[in-house]
Amino acid sequence: MQQRLLSWLAITLTVLASAWARSSAGDKVLVVSDAKLEAAEYSQFWDGLKNRGYELTFRKTSEEAPATSSFDVPSFSHIIVFAPSTKTYPADISPQSLVHLLSDPTQPTNILFVLQPSTPSSPLRDLGREFGISFPPPATPLIDYFNAVSPSNATSLLLTPPVTPHTPGFNGGDVLYSGVAHLRSNNPLLVDFLNAPPTSFSADPLEPADVIVEVAASGGEGFWAGGRMGLVTGFEVLRGGGRATWVGSLDLFRNAATAINGKPTANNAYALALASWTFQETSVLRIDSVEHRRISESSPRDQYRIKDDLIYRIHVSAYNPATGEWEPTSQIDDMQLEFTMLDPHIRTALSPVQGEKGWYETKFRAPDRHGVFKFIVDWRRKRYTALHSSTTVSVVPFRHNEYPRFLSSAWPYYLGALSTSAAFVLFCALWLLGGNEEEKKKTQ
Amino acid sequence: MAGPKKTVTASSQSPVSAITSAGQDLVKSYVDNTPKRVKIIDTFLLFIMLSGVAQFVYCALVTNFPFNAFLAGFGSTIGQFVLTAAFRAQVNPSTRSEFTIISPERAFADFCIGSIILHFFVYNFLG
Repeated sequence: MQQRLLSWLAITLTVLASAWARSSAGDKVLVVSDAKLEAAEYSQFWDGLKNRGYELTFRKTSEEAPATSSFDVPSFSHIIVFAPSTKTYPADISPQSLVHLLSDPTQPTNILFVLQPSTPSSPLRDLGREFGISFPPPATPLIDYFNAVSPSNATSLLLTPPVTPHTPGFNGGDVLYSGVAHLRSNNPLLVDFLNAPPTSFSADPLEPADVIVEVAASGGEGFWAGGRMGLVTGFEVLRGGGRATWVGSLDLFRNAATAINGKPTANNAYALALASWTFQETSVLRIDSVEHRRISESSPRDQYRIKDDLIYRIHVSAYNPATGEWEPTSQIDDMQLEFTMLDPHIRTALSPVQGEKGWYETKFRAPDRHGVFKFIVDWRRKRYTALHSSTTVSVVPFRHNEYPRFLSSAWPYYLGALSTSAAFVLFCALWLLGGNEEEKKKTQ
Repeated sequence: MAGPKKTVTASSQSPVSAITSAGQDLVKSYVDNTPKRVKIIDTFLLFIMLSGVAQFVYCALVTNFPFNAFLAGFGSTIGQFVLTAAFRAQVNPSTRSEFTIISPERAFADFCIGSIILHFFVYNFLG
C-alpha cells in the first residue's frame, strides 16, 4: 500500500516538475513567425524551451488566432517575434499592441524580437525607435573581415559574447552571428548584451569596397561601424518589469548554426540564455515586505514625530529558476533609502542584516521638519528587475505637552519670574502695612 | 549757607572727591526727603532691575535655551518695572499734582490688577 502511494507520489511529482516553467512570469509562449518561415529549421531552440517547461504556440503573421490577449487580459506570458520579413501585422500583434502588452504594470508580456538584414520596411524598424534602437538602411548586414568565418563570406561572423550571471547556461564559446547591427540611444532602460566587433561595419555585402571609398571621401560621416553598435540589446520596463530583447540575427537561432565546418558552436546555449533573461528567469527580484517603526516600539505608526529614531526594514527575494521558488537574497550591497518630502531629506544605505537573509535595514533620526514624508526605495540596476517601494507617513511636530519641561538651564528664568511674583506680593503687603503706619503718624 | 562754602572747598579738592561728595549729598537728600512708601517702591524697582540684568547676562553669556523661558522671565521684570514705575508716579507726593483725577487707592488697585494679569501671562509662557 505504502509503495503504491509512494509511486503515485513520484509520478505526480515528475508530472509537476515537467509542467513547472522556470520562468517567474509564466510558461505560455506565443511564437509569431513569417508565413514563409520553416519552424523546423529552429527545432533545437524550440526543444530547448520545451525542456525548460515552456508551452509553445505557433502562429503565422497571416493568421488571426490565437490572439495575444482576450478582453484585455494577456493570453501569453511571452512572445517570440520571428517575423523579420512581414510588412503588415494583424492588429493584436501590431507594434502598438506589443508595446501595450510589454508595459502592462501588473502582468507584462515579455517579448523577444528577432531581425534580419533583409528586413526592408518592417514595422519592427519603427518599433525599435520607440525603444531607443535605430537600424542602418535596409539590406546592409554587419560585415567584418577580421571575425568572419571565411573571407569569402564576411557576413557570417564568429563572436564571443561575454559570460555574465544574467545569461546562465552560456559558459563561453563562439557564436555564429549573421545579421544586422543597431545603434542604442542613451535610454537608461536599455541593456547591452552583445556589441559588434570594433572592426565591423554595416554595408551592402555586394559592394563593400564602394561603400568604404565613399565613406573615406566624406570623412566617415554616416558610416555604421565600430564597437559601439549593438547586436543583442535588452530592454526592461521600470513599472512591471516586463523585458524585451532585440536580437539582430535570425540565423543565430537556426539549427544549422549549431555547428560550423564540423565544429560545434555555442549558438543554442546562447539563444536559450538570452531567452532565459528575456522570459524573467534570471535576475528577477521582488520586494516582499516593508516595515517601519520607532526603534523603541514594535509596531508601525501612521505618523512619527520630528527627531524620532526610526528603523526601516525591507525584505527582498530573488527568483531561483532551478527550484522555481522565490528565495530571500542578501546579495544587494548598494540599496539606499530616501526619506523624502519633495526632496530627499535623508538618503542612507540599506545594508543587509546579519543572520536574517533577505532583510535590509537602516536606522536614522527623522529630520527636524514636519510634513508628509515618504520612505522611498528606488533601486535600478541594469539587467536586474527594478525595485521600487514607496510608503507615505506623516511627520508631526511636538504636541504642546510633549516638549521637555523644567530644564536645568532654564532655572534662572524660572527663579526670576517666581522672585518677581514673590517680591510683588511682599511689596503689596508692605505697602498696605506702611499705609497704616503713615495714617497713624498723621493721626498722632 | 553751607552750600557755597562746600563748593569752594570742593574746587580746591580733586574732582573725584567732588563727585563723591555730590553723590553723598544726593543719597542724603534722598534719604531725608523721600517718603517711606516711595522708598519701598524704589527698593522694589531696584530688585526688579537687578533681577532683569542678571537674567539678561545669563542669557547672553550662558544660554538662551529655552528662549520662551527667557522671554517670560525677562518680560516679567520689564513689565513689573513699568507698572511699578507708573504706580510710583501716581502716588509720589512730588508728582501727585499731575494725577488729581486718580486717587492713590485707585492707583494701587490698577497696579495690582495689571501685575496679576502680567504674571498670568508670564507663567503661561514660562514653559
